[in-house]
Amino acid sequence: MSDGPNNTGLWQIAWRQLRHNRFAMVCLAILGLYTAVWIYAEATFWGARIRGVTPAYKVSNYDIRNQPPSAAHPLGTNFAGRDNLSQMIQGTRIAFEIGLLTSVIVIPIGFALGAVAGYFGRKIDTAVVYLYSVIDSVPGILLIMAIAYVVRSVVERSEAFQAITRYVDSGLLAVCVGMGFTGWVGLCRLIRAEYFKHRERQYVLAARALGVSDGAIMFRHIAPNVLHLIIINFSLRFPGLVLTEAVLSYLGVGVRDEPSWGAIINDAKQRLWLGNWWELAGATAAMFFLVLALNIFGDALRDALDPKLRTAEAKTA
Amino acid sequence: MGAYIIRRLLSVIPITLGVLFITFFLFRVVGGNPAYRIAGKNASPARIAQISKERGYDKPLFLNWRNPLDAQFPRLCLQLVRLDFGESMTTKQRVSTMLREGMLPSLCLTTPLFIIELVLAIALALVAAFYRGTWIDRSLVILSVMGMSISSLVYIMVAQFWLASEWRLFPVWGFEGPQYLLLPILIGVVAGVGGSVRFYRTVMLDEMNQEYVRTARAKGVANRTVLFRHVLRNAMIPILTNVIVAIPFLYTGALLLENFFGIPGLGRLTVNAVFNGDEDVIFATTFIGSVLFVIANLATDIAYTWADPRIRLK
Amino acid sequence: MLFVLFPGFGRAESVLYGVGGDFKGFDPVDAGDVESADQVGRVYEGLLEYAYLDRPYHVIPRLAEALPEVSADGLTYTFKIKKGIRFPDDPCFPGGKGREVTAQDFVYSFLRTLNPRLQSQGDWIFVNHVRGAQEWVDRVSSSKDPVNYDAPFPGFVATDRYTLQVNLAKPYPQLLWVLTMQYAFVVPREAVEFYGKDFRNHPVGTGPFRLKAWRRNYRIEYERNPFFSGQTFPANTDPEFQADVGKPLPLVDRIIEYDIREYYTTWQMFLGGQLYSAGINKDYFEKVISPQLELSGDLARRGIRLQKSPLLNTYYLGFNMLDPVVGGMSEPRKKLRQAFASALNVKKYCEVLTNNRSTPATSPIPPGVAGHEPKPYPHAYDLERAKRLLAEAGYPGGKDAKGKQLRLTMIMPGAGSTDARQAADFYAEQLRAIGVELEVQMLTGAEYLRREHEGETQIFWAGWVIDYPDAQNVLQLFYGPNKCPGVNATNYQNPEFDKLYEHVVSMADSPERTALYAKMADIVVEDCPWALMTYPLAYGLFQPWFQNYKQHAFPYANWKYFKVLPH
Repeated sequence: MSDGPNNTGLWQIAWRQLRHNRFAMVCLAILGLYTAVWIYAEATFWGARIRGVTPAYKVSNYDIRNQPPSAAHPLGTNFAGRDNLSQMIQGTRIAFEIGLLTSVIVIPIGFALGAVAGYFGRKIDTAVVYLYSVIDSVPGILLIMAIAYVVRSVVERSEAFQAITRYVDSGLLAVCVGMGFTGWVGLCRLIRAEYFKHRERQYVLAARALGVSDGAIMFRHIAPNVLHLIIINFSLRFPGLVLTEAVLSYLGVGVRDEPSWGAIINDAKQRLWLGNWWELAGATAAMFFLVLALNIFGDALRDALDPKLRTAEAKTA
Repeated sequence: MGAYIIRRLLSVIPITLGVLFITFFLFRVVGGNPAYRIAGKNASPARIAQISKERGYDKPLFLNWRNPLDAQFPRLCLQLVRLDFGESMTTKQRVSTMLREGMLPSLCLTTPLFIIELVLAIALALVAAFYRGTWIDRSLVILSVMGMSISSLVYIMVAQFWLASEWRLFPVWGFEGPQYLLLPILIGVVAGVGGSVRFYRTVMLDEMNQEYVRTARAKGVANRTVLFRHVLRNAMIPILTNVIVAIPFLYTGALLLENFFGIPGLGRLTVNAVFNGDEDVIFATTFIGSVLFVIANLATDIAYTWADPRIRLK
Repeated sequence: MLFVLFPGFGRAESVLYGVGGDFKGFDPVDAGDVESADQVGRVYEGLLEYAYLDRPYHVIPRLAEALPEVSADGLTYTFKIKKGIRFPDDPCFPGGKGREVTAQDFVYSFLRTLNPRLQSQGDWIFVNHVRGAQEWVDRVSSSKDPVNYDAPFPGFVATDRYTLQVNLAKPYPQLLWVLTMQYAFVVPREAVEFYGKDFRNHPVGTGPFRLKAWRRNYRIEYERNPFFSGQTFPANTDPEFQADVGKPLPLVDRIIEYDIREYYTTWQMFLGGQLYSAGINKDYFEKVISPQLELSGDLARRGIRLQKSPLLNTYYLGFNMLDPVVGGMSEPRKKLRQAFASALNVKKYCEVLTNNRSTPATSPIPPGVAGHEPKPYPHAYDLERAKRLLAEAGYPGGKDAKGKQLRLTMIMPGAGSTDARQAADFYAEQLRAIGVELEVQMLTGAEYLRREHEGETQIFWAGWVIDYPDAQNVLQLFYGPNKCPGVNATNYQNPEFDKLYEHVVSMADSPERTALYAKMADIVVEDCPWALMTYPLAYGLFQPWFQNYKQHAFPYANWKYFKVLPH
C-alpha cells in the first residue's frame, strides 16, 4: 500500500488531537455515561425476559398515577403509575437500538452500492445514482412513514417474523427499516466519491497490474482507507435518528410497546396543561444531552480524522 | 447547453416512474384493495366486489398480457401524465382541488420561514467566520448545536403552550391573518437555524483556508473585504445547492407546524392521506414532488455556471 | 387578544361556534361517517326525523304530512308529502328560482343511493328490502349507459305529485328508522346535474341552514336557510325546554366550526369562550370533574354545564371464529374465549382508561334498545374463573400440552395514538395475569378495516355504533350469511341463531320480538364470539350561553333546536 493512508497512524493522530479538545472529551464522557445506562437497561430488559417475568418498568400501579416528582420517583410517575425515570432509562435503550439497527441496514447498503458505483463507474454508477435520486425526490418523512407502516403490517402478520417480534418490538423494527432504507443515500454518496478518487491511485493501479481481482481491490485494499468515513457518518447520523423517531411517534408510526423518548414526549403533551411538566422535561433532557454530545463529538471526530470532509459531509447530511 | 437541459429534463421520466413504482408498491400492492374503506361498515360482499370493479382494483397489478396498458400500474401512470389526479377516498374531493387549496397556506408558511432562516443563518455564519476562533464564534457554534439537539415537537409544544396559551402573546390556533403565522414561523426558524448556521460556517471557513484567500490577506487586503468580496461569493456554490434542492419541498409544507397551528396546508393533507391510506392524494403529491425535484436539481447545475464560470455543462 | 381576532363577536346575530372534522362533502349518499352525517343533516332533510326530546326514540314526519299508511301485508308504505316545501334559490334552477319538492324528487334521491356507480355507503338501507332494487343495481352495474332515473321502478312510485309509494319485497319493519337517515334525504336533480362532480360542494337542500363558506381542513360556516319551511320548537313537558316552545326554527342565525386536531387547542379555546362545547379528554378529566363525577369548582362557577348520557354503542373484543386457536364452536374453544373475557378487568379499564366515562357492557344490545336485559354479564372479571376455564380449555397456567405458552394477537385501530397505546398495554397486562401472552397490533384505520373484513385477524378490538334503535342492527353482526367480508367480522355461525334471526327480521315491534331479541343476545353471550367491553357515555361540557341541548344518539338533524344566548 504505497500511498494509501496508514491507518493505525491515522487513528493515533486523531486520538491525540481529540484528547486536546476539551469539549470533545466532555462529550465522550457523556456518551460513556449513556452507554453505561444503555447496558444497564439491556441487562434489566433481558434479565426479565430470560426469567420470564414482566420487567419492572412495565408493571402498572394504578394507585399512584401521574404523581409529581418525589424521593421514590425522582421524575414522578406516568399514566399507569410507572416510574418515569425507569421509562427514560429504557428510552435510552430504545434510542441506542434504533441507532444500531438502522446502521445495520444503512452501512452494508450504503457501503456496497457506493463502492461498486465508485469503483466500476459507467452503467453501474448510473444505476446507483438513479436509485438514490429516486429516493431523494420523495419527501423523506413521508417515505419513512410509508415504509414503516408497510413493514410493520407485514412483520406483524406473517408467522415467519414471530421469532423476531417476540424479542424486538415490531414498531421499532419498522421504524428502523424505514429510516435505514432512506438513510443509506448519504453514506453511499460519500463512499462513491471516495472510491472514485482511490481507483486512480498508485496502489490500486499496482494491485490491478498484479492481477488482483476487483472484489479484493474494492474490499481488501480500498475499504480500510474509507472505514473512517463510515464511523464519522454513523456518529453524525445517530442524533438525527433519535430526533426523527420522536416525529414518527407523533405521526403514529413510532415504537409500539416500549417507552421511547418520542412516545413519552407525545404522551406528555396532553398533561402539560395539568402542570405536569416533569415527564416532558425528563424525556427532552435525556434526548438533548445524547444528541448534543453525539453532535459535538461527531464533529470533533470528523475534524480529527478527515478535515476535508466537512463540506462534503454537511452537504449530504 | 440546450441539449444538456433537454437531456436532464428527460430524466424526469425514469425518476418519476421509480417514485411512482415505490409508492404504488407500498400502498396498493402491500396495502391491499381499498374497496372496504369506500364501502363502509354495512357493506355486503357483493357491494365490495362492485366497487372493486368500478374503480379498476380487480385488474392485474402490473401486467395484463392481452392489453399491456390495462393493468393498475400503467393506468395510474397514464392518468397522472394526463394530470388527472383522481379523487380522494376520504374526502371524495378532486385531488387537484385539494392540492390547489392547500398550496397557498403551505407556501404562506414555508416561504417566509425559508427566507428568514436562510438570511439569518448566512448572517450568523458570516459573523462566526469573521470572528473565527474567538468566543463569539465558539458560542455561536455551541448555540447552534444545542438548538439542533431539541426535538422540533418540543419547540412547538412548549411555545404553543407558554407563548400562546399561557401568556397570550400569539394566537393559539387558526389561519385568519398574518399574525397567525408569526408563531409558527418563529418556531420554524428557531428550530431550523442551528443546523444551517453550522453548515454555512463550515463552508465559509473551508473557503477561507483556500490559497487565494491567504494570498489576499498576506497582501494586506482587509479581512472584511476578503470575507464579503471573495469568500461569500465562492461559498455561494454549496449554499445554492442546499437552497435550491430544498425548494421543491416547500410545497409539501411544514407538517408538524400545520397540524399544531391549524394551517390548512399540504403537510396536513399528506399526513392525513398516509394515515387514511388515501392513495390518490399520495400518488399525486409524490408525482409532483419528484418532477419539481428533478427541475430543481437542473436549476442547481445551471446556477453553478452562473456562480462559477469555470464550470461548463456538458 | 386572540378572542378579538375571531370574526363575528359582538354582533347582534346569534352564532354557534364549534369544532368539526374532516368530512366528505354534502352529498347525502356519501355521508357514511358520523362527521359527514352531521354536516349533511344541517342542509338536507328526509321524509321522517327523530322526535328530538322524546325517549324512547321514535320517528315523526318531517317532509311527509304524516306517518305513512301501511298495507295489511306490510309491503306497501304510502307517504303523503307536505305541500309548499321549497328547494332554495340556486343558479342550478331555471331562472335561479328554487322550486317545490315533489314525490318524484324522493324517487330520484332514493335511486341515487342505490346507484352502484356513486359507491354510496347507504345502499344497504334499500337493497335487499325494496322490490326490484337488487335487479336495478345489477342492471346499472353491468351496463355502460347513463343511469336512467326516469324508467319506472317498482320499488319507489310517485303516484301523484305529492304521493310516494314504497313497495317492499318482504316485510321490513326497520324502514321508518332508515328513512330518517341521510341516505334517504331529498336532493334536487337540477343541482346534481348542474354541478356534476362538484355537487358535493354545493348543497341545495331544504334543511334549516345553508352553506355560506367552507375552507377545507379549517373552517366551515352556515347561515339560516330563508327557505326553510314551517317547523317550530316542539311542545314538551320538560321544564328545561319551555322557553322556546312554539318559536320558529332554527334558533341560531349562523354556525361556524373549526377543524381542530389537537385536543388541547380545543380545550384552550373552550375555556376562552370561543367554542360552545368541548369533550373531555381522559387526561383532563381529573382536573375538570370531581371524583363524584360533577364539575369541579372553577368551571362550575363559570356556569359551564356538564352533560352525560349513554350512547347506544357497544365496544367489544371480537374473536375470529375461523381461527384455529380461538375460533370454533367446540366446548374447549368456547371456554378459551370465556376465559379471555373473564380475565379482563373491565371495571378497572373504565376507571383508568376512560375515567368512568363508560360502563362495563353486559349484552351486545346496548341499554336503551329493546332486547337489552339488565342482568350481569356471565363472563365478567373473575381471575379464578378465568384460570379455571383456561385450564379446562387445555391451557393450564396458559401453557398447552407441550408446555408452550399460549400466544394470541389482537388488532386495534388508532395506530400509535397515545390512547390506543395505553389501552393496548392494559389488555396485554390483564392477559399476562392468566399466563397468556397477548400481542396487540395498532393499525391505521385503513389497514384495520381491511384485515377485519378479510377475516385476517385472531382477535380484534371493535365498536358498533348503532344506526337506529332496533336490536336487529346489532344482531345482524352475528348472522352467519353476513360473514366476512360482510358485517359479521367474527364469522360467527350458529344455526339456531340464524333461524331466529331470519324469523325476527320481518317481525314488527312487539313484546314477542323483544323477547326473541333477548334470547338471541343470550345465545351470543354464551358462545362468546365477543368479549364484551364497554358502553360509552357521552360527556360534554357546555357554555352557559348554549341552550336547548339534549344528548341524542342520532343527533344529525338537531342543529335547528340549539340556541345561543347573548354573552
